[in-house]
Amino acid sequence: MTEPLLSVRNLTVEFPTRRGILTAVQDISFDIMPGEVLGVVGESGAGKSMTGSAIMRLIERPGRIAQGEVILQGRRIDNLPDAEMRKIRGRKIGMIFQDPLTSLNPLYRISEQLIETIRTHLPLSETEARKKAVGLLDDVGIPDASRRIDDYPHQFSGGMRQRVVIALALCAGPDLVIADEPTTALDVSVQAQIIDVMKRLCAENGAAIMLITHDMGVIAETADRVAVMYAGRIAEIGPVRDVIKDAKHPYSAGLMGAIPRLGANLERLTQIPGSMPRLSAIPRGCAFNPRCEHVMDKCRLDQPQPVQIAPGRQVSCWLYPPQGDTVNSIDERRLAE
Amino acid sequence: MTQTLLNVRGLSRRFDVSQPWLNRKIEGTGKLYVNAVDDVSFTVKQGETFALVGESGSGKSTIARLIVGLLEPSKGDIIFDGTSLKNGLKGAKARALRQRFQMIFQDPLASLNPRWRVFDIVAEPLRVFERSMDKRAQRLRVGELLTLVGLAPEDGIKFPHQFSGGQRQRIAIARALAANPDFIVCDEPTSALDVSVQAQILNLMKDLQKDLGLTYVFISHNLQVVRHMANDIGVLYLGRLAEVAEAGALFDAPQHPYTRMLLDAVPDIEMTGRRRKQVEGEIPSPIDPPSGCAFHPRCPLANDRCKREIPKVINGVACHAVQEGRAA
Repeated sequence: MTEPLLSVRNLTVEFPTRRGILTAVQDISFDIMPGEVLGVVGESGAGKSMTGSAIMRLIERPGRIAQGEVILQGRRIDNLPDAEMRKIRGRKIGMIFQDPLTSLNPLYRISEQLIETIRTHLPLSETEARKKAVGLLDDVGIPDASRRIDDYPHQFSGGMRQRVVIALALCAGPDLVIADEPTTALDVSVQAQIIDVMKRLCAENGAAIMLITHDMGVIAETADRVAVMYAGRIAEIGPVRDVIKDAKHPYSAGLMGAIPRLGANLERLTQIPGSMPRLSAIPRGCAFNPRCEHVMDKCRLDQPQPVQIAPGRQVSCWLYPPQGDTVNSIDERRLAE
Repeated sequence: MTQTLLNVRGLSRRFDVSQPWLNRKIEGTGKLYVNAVDDVSFTVKQGETFALVGESGSGKSTIARLIVGLLEPSKGDIIFDGTSLKNGLKGAKARALRQRFQMIFQDPLASLNPRWRVFDIVAEPLRVFERSMDKRAQRLRVGELLTLVGLAPEDGIKFPHQFSGGQRQRIAIARALAANPDFIVCDEPTSALDVSVQAQILNLMKDLQKDLGLTYVFISHNLQVVRHMANDIGVLYLGRLAEVAEAGALFDAPQHPYTRMLLDAVPDIEMTGRRRKQVEGEIPSPIDPPSGCAFHPRCPLANDRCKREIPKVINGVACHAVQEGRAA
């Protein structure tokens, strides 16, 4: 068995405020294997971006990692000094943000931004770095790269800008790319192109991807495994196909039913009542209990822990009690009642 | 046979995006226009949903604004229930007609006044259209409306910021329903919402349509949502209609190459392993659209005629290749 590229263990992110401590991410654990695409899906406020930022140590103060470890290639990185961490960002872990216009500096040419990043991490001369930059832009599908490299960000369209950001994230050959909603700001036809480029280049460079998005369709097309997040916790994690076809956690099941589909023309969509709780009012016990149709007394009191229900598949839900209970699907549970 | 409620004929809208006068004189440039909407025609049947779908810059929102009269058309006509809205309306007739159509916007936080209580927001159309209604009747009606959209009458005393995004959109829907309209233009009503909340709002809109006999013009960039909501669909590209068809037909047998490309680009959530064709290129700038058929630089079927001649909508498709039988 190969060693995971990245291990997140019991990660908790907190924000102390005047009205008490808000927990944005609570006690989550997952692994990313080399070359793997892990999707992280959830609605606004689920803590998906916060998890990505925590791994990169980009959480803004007063937010802090209150507990847990982040281990990259066997080395703990959550407690490294800032100077050390700076060598990891970009070199070991690349990042792609949602809005390409804010992640590129509008005052510098694309060439300057790329060359600066390349030379920060790799021992190349100015000319070599420029050559590499042109090659990268070529790879991400920017036509006439050797000329356009000296343009400013505003001279590119949204899709082209996102391609530049991908080039920027990949320029030092990272082992992991964290992509935070990389296609949310783009039109459908451009979204498909960007996903293709991202997937192809990461596969060519052997980089793993942590793909954060709210769009289950993007996950279905791109990811190998998916983690469904709700109110700062992982509700369910498993292979994409299994989670999409047969979601075990009532939240992921509801989420899948809520997505309108091209194939089936249903009269009504599955509806989860209510909405995601605010961080200041996360319910006791299972965070999903006020919205859950299978809620039991236990759910209101105790928080469920992740339980392995199949190889590589974990669910945090009292419908799947730890050990010794044979009931392992919602349907069977319903029959038993 | 269902009756036609709205008939849009050759609708065009041009925006002046010229530089200021002095710049034009110094730089020797002329005036510059964008044809945001160009010769668009469609009909909407009573009690049904007509969806307009397209990517950014396709003119969807401009059409919405033209229909409800927030913008005036440069050319063309909008006929609502037999009355032409072309020359603007005046007096009592305008009031009677305006009461019948309402609009729901994308961002409920921007479309609800943050300084007003929900009661005042929902009651505003009543104050405009039902002047004889006293305070007590207003209160009853607002309570009724809030219940109808899944909120409580007591929520009336709160302010918009005290609600979540989905609840705010419910308030916007309650306001739109206050005047008892039979026609609602919805401009991306769920784009700002999360999936689970979007499902609630879409279900609510469908229920209301059934119970109140509403007609919707539904504008969205999301093909799955459109598939779920619409009876008929118009696909827009750079201000022109590429294809108009019944929803089932459009998704089962898309004719126009752009529609096909768009459907191909939708992520495959069923995981059927369908191979997708690589989508080519990006939407050109509407300020300087390509000659002839605006889609020709991205179209696999384009030939010389497509570069010269703007295709007309024939049998619901504006494409030379389809009309010449070149599209397999």
